[in-house]
Amino acid sequence: MFELFEHTADVGLRIRAADLNGLFAEAARGLFSLIVENMDDVRPGRQRTFCLEADNPTELLCDWLAELLFVFDTKHLLFVEFDVRINAEHKLEATARGETVDETRHRLDHEVKAITYHGLTVRRDGPGWMAEVIVDI
Amino acid sequence: MPATANTIPLEQVDACCWRIPKRYKPGMRVDGLIFADDRLIEQIKGDQALEQVANVAFLPGIQTASFAMPDIHWGYGFCIGGVCATDPEEDGVVSPGGVGYDINCGVRLMRTNLRVDEVQPRLKTLVETLYRRIPTGVGRSGKYHFGPSELQQLMAEGVGFLYQRGLATERDVDCTEARGCIDDAVPTHVSDRASERGANQCGTLGAGNHFLEVQVVDQIADERAAAAMELQKDMVCVLIHSGSRGLGYQVCDDALRMFRSVPAVHGIELPDRQLACAPINSPEGQHYIGSMRAAANFAFCNRQLLMWQTREVFNDVFGRSWSDMDMQLVYDIAHNIAKFEQHRVDGQVKTVCVHRKGATRAFPPGHPELPERYREIGQPVIIPGDMGRASWILAGAPGSMERSFGTTCHGAGRAMSRTAAAKDARGRRIDQELLAKGIVARARSWKGLAEEQPKAYKDVDLVVDVVHKAGLSTKVARLRPIGVIKG
Repeated sequence: MFELFEHTADVGLRIRAADLNGLFAEAARGLFSLIVENMDDVRPGRQRTFCLEADNPTELLCDWLAELLFVFDTKHLLFVEFDVRINAEHKLEATARGETVDETRHRLDHEVKAITYHGLTVRRDGPGWMAEVIVDI
Repeated sequence: MPATANTIPLEQVDACCWRIPKRYKPGMRVDGLIFADDRLIEQIKGDQALEQVANVAFLPGIQTASFAMPDIHWGYGFCIGGVCATDPEEDGVVSPGGVGYDINCGVRLMRTNLRVDEVQPRLKTLVETLYRRIPTGVGRSGKYHFGPSELQQLMAEGVGFLYQRGLATERDVDCTEARGCIDDAVPTHVSDRASERGANQCGTLGAGNHFLEVQVVDQIADERAAAAMELQKDMVCVLIHSGSRGLGYQVCDDALRMFRSVPAVHGIELPDRQLACAPINSPEGQHYIGSMRAAANFAFCNRQLLMWQTREVFNDVFGRSWSDMDMQLVYDIAHNIAKFEQHRVDGQVKTVCVHRKGATRAFPPGHPELPERYREIGQPVIIPGDMGRASWILAGAPGSMERSFGTTCHGAGRAMSRTAAAKDARGRRIDQELLAKGIVARARSWKGLAEEQPKAYKDVDLVVDVVHKAGLSTKVARLRPIGVIKG
């Protein structure tokens, strides 16, 4: 699950999941919930694979969301379903499914400029995982 | 846990200035200095902006103080409204967070010879046409397409590139900060990803707090300066707020990724990762500076093409040529940028890297960088307020050089978070509320208007009062909006 938290100029996303794979998938859903108002109307017809590596889970989360944002900005692809697999060496392999923006059906919302490092957190939370990320609007 | 405003020591310096002493946190190299009066400082205490002012004071090579303008609010890394000058000769750093993702986000004001009563009968048509023809909102491409080599040239030459192609006049170039081109830009340092992200976005407005407003001069505070800017009461103007679009966002993102390990390599300890920085005289620092300048030149071109399209719309709506309507650029100014400038520090003139993150250059009369037409009155400073109340035109004043590295505020500053503003607007039609005040507004999304509603911002009149009294810049004219387009 994800929720928004207050930030004066931008928007904060707080994400919780049972495991790291779920956390990254849910963070991606959180990101696209900011970009498109009616996420439920986005059809998961097209898919794209991603392969990323970073030094730690925090940087990996930042890179993952930034990569999705880059694909959205350049290919106008909205993603809504995510299968994420992260190994112990912080290597991510993921499949994202969605479709190209169709303004007759999709209500676009925020222009997310970037994923910031300010307050960026990925940590264990009881039996599960929690992340916080502030995106620049 | 972040410190609350109550745990941060604040000392009043004078009626318009407050100090966070450097003893507040071990690691602060200088004090924090915040320009605000009694009323605004209470609002500023409402979020984490003051903590961010203190954090910026950690940056190596910082000179005099970590400054904040009265419109400050919580940003990422730097507060929005923050100013920091670093000296390359004292191992000073450059920080992409001190510029922001939207490199050279800025504003430009265009005047016309139309009076409000001439525009009013066609206002709705004018706003509708602007909204239809000027690309606004998420993911919008523009009508201007530049191939890879043209884009490289545009980033190297700035507005001069557009002048060569008949998309800018000599006066447009003359009235843009740095004549629309920051020297020594290195477009080859801009990644293919950044170029790809921005290639079709030159001449697009974007979303968030970016806007285009049709405004009316409703008060002249300084007749002489207003005359030099060719502004008269009841005259219609156009104010444009946008930046470097996806290209700039990606340049900043690329730099932050490149800088991840740089602070540790140089033994720099930072309280916030978003303050990542590199010594100015390091390969990483130079790489960022070259690409940041290229993105800044892209942004000048973006605003130029937005203005050019506005002129085309006015041509069609009023059936007259834009030159006949004397649609002339008053000035274009950046408010997210880092520039090398000469300033006096402890009695010695130095070249320092001035980071302005949501802050505006405000050079005083006589400054050699000003165009001839403004040499006697000081640099025009454009302060957008909110879409329901007012914006201001100021002129740079000598106090800015003495007190704030030639800098003043950049806007009203947010008073409410985006989520709080959207919650506050539930069940309301912001466009209808604005219409009741005589303002025609068009936006791509309800939330766009809700988050940017007038109440979400501080009262710009109060902010401008502070910079005027502090001697950073002086009031010239107040403008009120009559038409708004937003993403």
